[in-house]
Amino acid sequence: MTQEYGKGFGRRRVLLGGAATTIASLAMPGILRAQTRELVIGGAASHKPWVETHVMPMFEKKYNCKITFEGTRSLVNLEKMQKNRDKPYMSVVQMDDPVMILAVREGLLEPITAAKAPNLAKLKPGTTHMDGMWANYLQPWQGVAYNTNVLKTAPASWTDALDPKFKGRIIVPSLQNTEGLPNLFMFAHLATGKPMAEAYKDIDAAFRELRKLKPNLLTVYSQMPQAFSLLEQGEAHMILGALSSFGMQRRLDGAPITMTAPKEGIFPVPSGIAVIKNGPNPDLAFAYVNELLGAEVQSKIAPPTFALPTNVDTPIPPGMPTDATIHPIDWAFVAENRNDWVKRWDREMGA
Amino acid sequence: MQQPQFRIWWLAVPALGYLLIAYAAPLVYLLMRSVIRPEGVSLQLFSAFLSDDYNLRVIGNTLRIALLVTLLCLAIGYPVALALARARGIAQVLLLTAIILPLSIGVVVKAFAWQIVLRRDGAIAKFLVATGIWDEPKRLLFTEPGLVIGAANVFLPFMILPIYSVVRQIDPRLSEAGATLGASPLHRFRKIILPLTMPGLITGIAFVFSMSLSMFVIPSLLMGDRFQTLATLTGRSFLLMRNEALGSATAVVLLVLAVSVVVGSTWVSRRLMRGG
Repeated sequence: MTQEYGKGFGRRRVLLGGAATTIASLAMPGILRAQTRELVIGGAASHKPWVETHVMPMFEKKYNCKITFEGTRSLVNLEKMQKNRDKPYMSVVQMDDPVMILAVREGLLEPITAAKAPNLAKLKPGTTHMDGMWANYLQPWQGVAYNTNVLKTAPASWTDALDPKFKGRIIVPSLQNTEGLPNLFMFAHLATGKPMAEAYKDIDAAFRELRKLKPNLLTVYSQMPQAFSLLEQGEAHMILGALSSFGMQRRLDGAPITMTAPKEGIFPVPSGIAVIKNGPNPDLAFAYVNELLGAEVQSKIAPPTFALPTNVDTPIPPGMPTDATIHPIDWAFVAENRNDWVKRWDREMGA
Repeated sequence: MQQPQFRIWWLAVPALGYLLIAYAAPLVYLLMRSVIRPEGVSLQLFSAFLSDDYNLRVIGNTLRIALLVTLLCLAIGYPVALALARARGIAQVLLLTAIILPLSIGVVVKAFAWQIVLRRDGAIAKFLVATGIWDEPKRLLFTEPGLVIGAANVFLPFMILPIYSVVRQIDPRLSEAGATLGASPLHRFRKIILPLTMPGLITGIAFVFSMSLSMFVIPSLLMGDRFQTLATLTGRSFLLMRNEALGSATAVVLLVLAVSVVVGSTWVSRRLMRGG
């Protein structure tokens, strides 16, 4: 045995080899370290497919770096940013606008400027927020998803869901999920009959109207894939406030569902991107943001996510609702009141 | 004699160290968070939490579901554990595999499977309609019975295995001796088998009850957001409402309930055993 060690990989040789590798890598920092520059991006789990297909290969090649994409929920991203406030490991975050407001309040973000990300100047009005703290790279939309085997014609109005024939067949998102909030505003609008801009703050009216929906509710979801699987199986007939990015994709995959924009209108789901304050590799971080705000990347990611682009030079993909009323959402109002609404929802909408 | 005993304690050091870091320290931190308020040490969070009717309903939900799941596991698991201990050869191997193998399937997968089974056109509804128990298919999904059935499926092995490990140590001749003395099967069960299996029974109940009390994924997938338990409320306080004080308070209430029910049931059972 000792002889074999002497001939083959003795301990000393292994140590020597290790030392040589270490010295070599220290001696050539320019080459080896540049290759290992890493950009950690926090985003939603649902972003992963298009980031990996349309953004990652192009970006890694162009900037000679490696992207690590951590897909989770917006609030989990916020949690990660708070916990690592002193030494952030993520550089960029892709989150929903309401969570961005919370991140701004906690001083976790670095403003984006046109000097650092020139494409910022090319965005539609209303898609850059709080003096450039974050910007929208896409606008998916929220409408009504329905099972096409059960409903032969698209629901024309959001009030269709109140029809007693849908007893136990309607799903809505939880207020825990960002996409759960627009239903409140829509039901305030339905209850009062006033224009949305006037009606949306009447949350009492919203809850009054929503209580009428209770007998028809199958469930209130916090896991979107579960809700869509119930819709596809026919156990549920409609999802109110469904996300186009998910619903349209499932339709494309062959599921018997589709999305519609009822006459009262739909809601945009502004998808935000921001740079994390004091994060590693800020140059790469701004370059990444700039690419996502650019027409080239947006023209690739808007069609597969069934979203509206925000860069004015990007064409609107075919199949998107063109004549529907789009109601902007007052996210500051949401941020102020969301916890109270969640509490109230538990008490008034509980099973 | 003193020395070997002292040495054997060292074997527990890795486990103790692990529990200290991964369990005890965060728990102490959690307890502190729930009582140390800006105005000083106070139980105000708890009094506020407990004076809200809705929260009492949540505590009620949590306890009721845990109790029902435990009872269902007990009703299904106890006979299975007896059968398992009496089975021999390939039958025992098959039974054990059937009990242990499902443990390797994730809770999320099981919950999704239950979603299919509990549907209006699922196996259970079809069976109940075919046997005439139901006139028409009804909804089981996102109802309490559905949750109890699904959770019992996940936790059943934790009831069966402790009981089985005790039953297999019981000398079968004890029961035979009882029979030769003229004791009826029911009497033999009450006076011999049940008292001897009590330690396994208590362990199984403690396992299943505490796990059902604190389950988070199963109620969120099988009941959804309209039905809150202490565990889902705790998760939401931390992750959504960013109210760590409330989250700590609900977690402590949950912990106190779990510990007191488990300790209490052990105490009652021991007394019953002695009395029996």
